[in-house]
Amino acid sequence: MDNSSTLHLALPAVHTAASATAPPSLAQPRAFSTSVNPLVFFSILDHYLRRNAGQDRVIGTLLGVRSEDGSEVEIKGCYPVPHLETEDQVEVDMEYHRTMFELHKQVNPKEVIVGWYATGAALNSYSALIHDFYQKEVSSFHAVHLTMDTALTNERLGVKTYISAPVGITSKADNCMFIPIPCDVKYFKAERAGLELLANAKSTESGSTTLLSDMDNLEQSVIEVQKMLERVSEYVDSVLAGTVPANNTVGRYLMDTVSVVPKVDAAEFEKMFNSHLQDLLMVIYLANMTRTQLAVAKRLEKLM
Amino acid sequence: MPSNKELSAALDIEGSVPIHSVQLDAMVVLKIVKHCRESIPATVTGQLMGLDVNGVLEVTHSFPMPKNNQDSEDDASNYQVQMMRCLREVNVDDNSVGWYQSTNMGNFMNQSLIEHQFEFQQALSKSVLIIHDVARSSMGNINLRALRLTPAFMKLYKEKKFTTEALTKAKLTFSNIFEELPITIRNTALLTALLYELETADESIEVSTSHLTTYKSTASAPANKSVLAPSFDVLDLSLDPYVAKNLENLMDTIDDHHQEQGNYAYWQRSVERENKKKAAYLLNRKTENARRTASGQAPLANEDVDAMFKIPAEPSRLDHLLISGQIDNYCKQINEFAGPTLGKLFAVGELQK
Repeated sequence: MDNSSTLHLALPAVHTAASATAPPSLAQPRAFSTSVNPLVFFSILDHYLRRNAGQDRVIGTLLGVRSEDGSEVEIKGCYPVPHLETEDQVEVDMEYHRTMFELHKQVNPKEVIVGWYATGAALNSYSALIHDFYQKEVSSFHAVHLTMDTALTNERLGVKTYISAPVGITSKADNCMFIPIPCDVKYFKAERAGLELLANAKSTESGSTTLLSDMDNLEQSVIEVQKMLERVSEYVDSVLAGTVPANNTVGRYLMDTVSVVPKVDAAEFEKMFNSHLQDLLMVIYLANMTRTQLAVAKRLEKLM
Repeated sequence: MPSNKELSAALDIEGSVPIHSVQLDAMVVLKIVKHCRESIPATVTGQLMGLDVNGVLEVTHSFPMPKNNQDSEDDASNYQVQMMRCLREVNVDDNSVGWYQSTNMGNFMNQSLIEHQFEFQQALSKSVLIIHDVARSSMGNINLRALRLTPAFMKLYKEKKFTTEALTKAKLTFSNIFEELPITIRNTALLTALLYELETADESIEVSTSHLTTYKSTASAPANKSVLAPSFDVLDLSLDPYVAKNLENLMDTIDDHHQEQGNYAYWQRSVERENKKKAAYLLNRKTENARRTASGQAPLANEDVDAMFKIPAEPSRLDHLLISGQIDNYCKQINEFAGPTLGKLFAVGELQK
């Protein structure tokens, strides 16, 4: 080997059980990845907003679940932990951290500590120390460190996740390198509807929005679909007119999509449609009748 | 059920502007949804915290309550106090303003809920109950309702007398047990930035260190789908499961209602019987007295008739109120569901042509 410098990194170890499920073509250990629930982002921002005056960044604990082989971590929740950062030292309130974890465990026994978060994109030696502390909490697996760039450098709220690997000759706590790992955003379907609702708010002046009734929600979705269809038909028109170069993949994809619409015999469809409609109307009728009955009873009671 | 007496002592209830709307922080909405969704089918509760400002109740934080029912009241309130203390350290508003409960298909009107809400409202006049319907929210639209007990109902509940005449005097029917408040959702500026971020391509979230995470990025070229790409759960056409469940619940509640009616009728019949017996006895007495005076004897003293014929007390009409309210709720749900469904149905019809 020549004299070029090399860096030896200890990537996360993997249990042998996982190697059976890892793609056979790769001999490398399975990559460590995380997925985050958007609620965590919201909580971090909220915590950052509430920080004490003079505090530059805030930290907190991340809770979540891990996959069986420890390589997939799902971050589901978090809570803030008070800490103090001065020129020469950093203090983390461990008592608080433990108490909160106990409380959270009462509600959600399945969630475990998976790491910690900090606002501000900088990674300094304090981060290393705090990470070391959390690594002890997480014991056999790697602790995940999530940073959220609240200072909006590059005009982005950059979110990065890291794990640490020891580097260097001595094994001091702050001799470690933070290795970035990929991070995904995962959520339930119902939360997705909530996110959409919140997204509506971002275009208003005051940042607030009201809840939509089901009808309004449907209307919005239909309008979205219409817009999408318009865009697609515009594109197709322009390709036919020759103004836009044709793209085979897009064309084939469109053809597939359109052919998904089921082609049902007209008479069949009439029948299905009518029976479906009748069921629904009957139920509505019964429900309304019950309501009217109740309303009449209510009036009678008042008369008494 | 946690008691809120220790909390109410710490608050000073100043100002008598009645609340007319509720403003939820975006984070609170997500937290409630997440907590309720994780625990279906069990119903869960949690506490809300915030502040009321000029008639608008702002909810800024929430935390879930552990759901073991075997916990003694002390445990639950212990948890609550500890939690609030911890949150206070990180500058969260530790002012309790209400609680939330998850429900399935809208079946939340029962005695325990009313009792709990009553206690809450007694202790803190500015408090609200948020109901999150998990089943309906899975159809593409979040369902949150903010409810309070009406003052008329509170007065009546305090006296615990739910006779028919008390109800008519207070003009209380099942539709004004609860009053519903409009909800708005608020985002902070940073949150707005986050939402924009999530909507655009999520490259800031995916970390591009492909040499360290080899196969993950090459295996499936991540379609640059942003987090908020449109989803169309709301356009789903299946009506059977929802309507069927609703109808089942409706039928059960109507059975309960029937039972209540039966009870009431039974009570009425027994009152009739007692009254008849009393009238017969009085008549007997009168004839007896008449006969005696006619024959020159002293009339019998009038005994206390009422003590002899005890008229059974009227059963509480509270259950009846609640059941009627519940039935009304189910019917309203079916109606609300029918509107969009009919629209979807006709849209599909058009599509086929």
